Amino acid sequence: MGTGTNVERRTVLKVAGVSAVTLGLTATGCGGSDGTSADGTVTIRYSWWGAEERAKKINQSIALFEKKYPKIKVKTDFQDYPSFWEKFQTQAAGGNPPDVFQNAVGFLRKYDKRGILLDLKTQIDAGNLSLDHFRPGVTSVGQVDGKQLGIPVGSNTMALVIDKKVYEKAGVDPTAGWTWDEYFKALKTIYDKTEVPGDTGYFSIMYLYDLYLRQNGKAFFTKDGLGFEESDLTEWWTDGYSRVKAGIVTSPKVVAQDTPKSSLSAGHGASEFTWDNFTVRYTAEGSSTYGLAPIPTTDGKDTGQYLASLMLSGSARTKHPKEVAQFINFMVHDPAVGKIMGYDRGILATTDQYDAFKPTDTVQKEIAQYEVDTAKAGVLGTITPHPSGADTAESAFLRIGGDMALGKTKVADAVKQFFSEAQAAFSA
Amino acid sequence: MGTAVTLVKDAPPAARKTRSAAPADRKRRGRRENLAGYLFMSPWIAGFLLLTAGPMVASLYFAFTDYNLFNSPKWIGFDNFTRMFDDPRWQKSVEVTAKYVVIGTPLKLLLALGVAMLLAQSRRGQALYRAAFYAPSLIGASVSVGFVWRSLFSDGAVVDRTQSLFGMHVGGWVGDPDWILYSLVALTVWQFGAPMVIFLAGLKQVPRELYEAAEMDGAGPFRRFWSITLPMISPVLFFNVLLETVHSFQIFGSAYVVSNSQCGPADATLVYTCYLYQQGFKNAQMGFASAMAWMLLLAVALVTAVLFWSQKKWVHYEEDVR
Repeated sequence: MGTGTNVERRTVLKVAGVSAVTLGLTATGCGGSDGTSADGTVTIRYSWWGAEERAKKINQSIALFEKKYPKIKVKTDFQDYPSFWEKFQTQAAGGNPPDVFQNAVGFLRKYDKRGILLDLKTQIDAGNLSLDHFRPGVTSVGQVDGKQLGIPVGSNTMALVIDKKVYEKAGVDPTAGWTWDEYFKALKTIYDKTEVPGDTGYFSIMYLYDLYLRQNGKAFFTKDGLGFEESDLTEWWTDGYSRVKAGIVTSPKVVAQDTPKSSLSAGHGASEFTWDNFTVRYTAEGSSTYGLAPIPTTDGKDTGQYLASLMLSGSARTKHPKEVAQFINFMVHDPAVGKIMGYDRGILATTDQYDAFKPTDTVQKEIAQYEVDTAKAGVLGTITPHPSGADTAESAFLRIGGDMALGKTKVADAVKQFFSEAQAAFSA
Repeated sequence: MGTAVTLVKDAPPAARKTRSAAPADRKRRGRRENLAGYLFMSPWIAGFLLLTAGPMVASLYFAFTDYNLFNSPKWIGFDNFTRMFDDPRWQKSVEVTAKYVVIGTPLKLLLALGVAMLLAQSRRGQALYRAAFYAPSLIGASVSVGFVWRSLFSDGAVVDRTQSLFGMHVGGWVGDPDWILYSLVALTVWQFGAPMVIFLAGLKQVPRELYEAAEMDGAGPFRRFWSITLPMISPVLFFNVLLETVHSFQIFGSAYVVSNSQCGPADATLVYTCYLYQQGFKNAQMGFASAMAWMLLLAVALVTAVLFWSQKKWVHYEEDVR
């Protein structure tokens, strides 16, 4: 037992050592360095949502950036849209959001209120980031209460994406200024002639209902709540439900099975209201040809449309605001980046990039033409503000609208449920 | 044991003397041994404190607060708990979970017991059968199986077509709020291998003489099962019921994956933990989510207590038989 003590002591030391190392590792793992290495190289984290295709383009763009700024390294990661925001929320709550990230209008107030977003004004004043040479009206999307919280990378607008083959077969030809009555009649024609439901579920898309409300002098959101009454939504959903039952709108049962694919690209619907740049995705996903049609109107003219945008935002917590600004500046202005990205995130926001990229394929040409036409028609309004909690309200709208359309919830109950969930989201 | 006794007996007087002469030294050595033990355990103790105990205590506190992850938690007493009972989606999640537990668990255990009884008899290729039936339990909880399940139960897929052969035109279960939960039940029942192995072990323990004696008394197969097998394996049955019930309450992964992270359609697969997840991580209502977690713990504890209490009515331990 005399030697035993020695062994013990040695063991104790070893164990202590191992534990210390383990704990030490954990500590480093949690601690998060400030991203500056000994030779002055700065590392910034950049997160976005999207798919493989976008990832490839972004990585190519970053390679260009790192070549021009050898002292800045960009670390990236990406998820699909819902997972991205879940992860972002958790990281932001833990005080560790990415330095730069993709952003959209529905999240500006929410994360501004929580002090997560970097006001890029200072960096613009310092000359690290330029707001010049943007296409008209685009930069305002990133402004909230006089702060510049996001820099647009591309603009997009809501559109009616159609399955051209089905529309042709049914002999339906949408024209600018067509009305909702004409649209719903067209859905019936399509269904009667092709047995494909004409629409994949317009009534639960927040951004479309917003257009309808705007055509009628209202809006989906105000600065701090909802811009419409329970009676408005009751009417909207009652009609929607009857159209599902009539078969002219895709059954939500089918939509549920098609997700994450769209029912349009799955061939289970002939048109879908969504962002114009989604034709790029649907063309890759589906087997038909997809095109863009005008938004139906109430008065034969006003579509209620506006330019929205994907943006790049910085974290208020970042230790490298200057590098973040330089990175955003490069990504939105550099012509070579524009050439690589194309219209994947909407029509390129700056004139430098817009001029540098000339689409060669019909899909992207059509998106460009669509926005030119829409602008020419003079229907583009200014974007309405999105209150904090708008994102939660949007997903509740989609979910509850779907429940209602399945016939599982009465319209009146569904409307009440939506209003109560939206209120909870705004006050959270 | 034997060696320990001889050691003490054969210990030289000198050693015995040291031991009695220096109790302090012995104590110190004991303490040192304890210290070594704790040090060896320290990574796990640290892990337990940091990753299990700490968060649990924190969530107990959050359960009584309004906490959105960003603002500091605000004490609101029992509001989160009373809010649950006014929340139609919470009620729905309780209903869905209860349905899943009540339908899925008995089916799974019945199948496990049935197959175990078939496999208990010696036959050729026995090991292969056991391995084959056990395999789903190993992979069933994985995300990839969830995806496979989703496509099996879609419109025009295998299940739909098979059903249509028999004149049942249901369509894909995955899109139908009346059917999707049963695809989750099917998924858990399919993983009957784990309780089956435990049943098998239990069945092997039943003495053959009992069956022989019963047979000689003219007892048929049903009688033998009812009066011998069931009482003899009742402790194993109890163990399986308890384990599977508690396990079922915690269903999350399969509901989340099969419904494509929507826990729908129409909240048809909104199991309790899924709603908890949505409230906590999507809507940032961490206070409410914490309260929900503690409510689940209470419910599971209550069910467990009832099961333990019911034991004396139907579970026979060996002492009773003797």
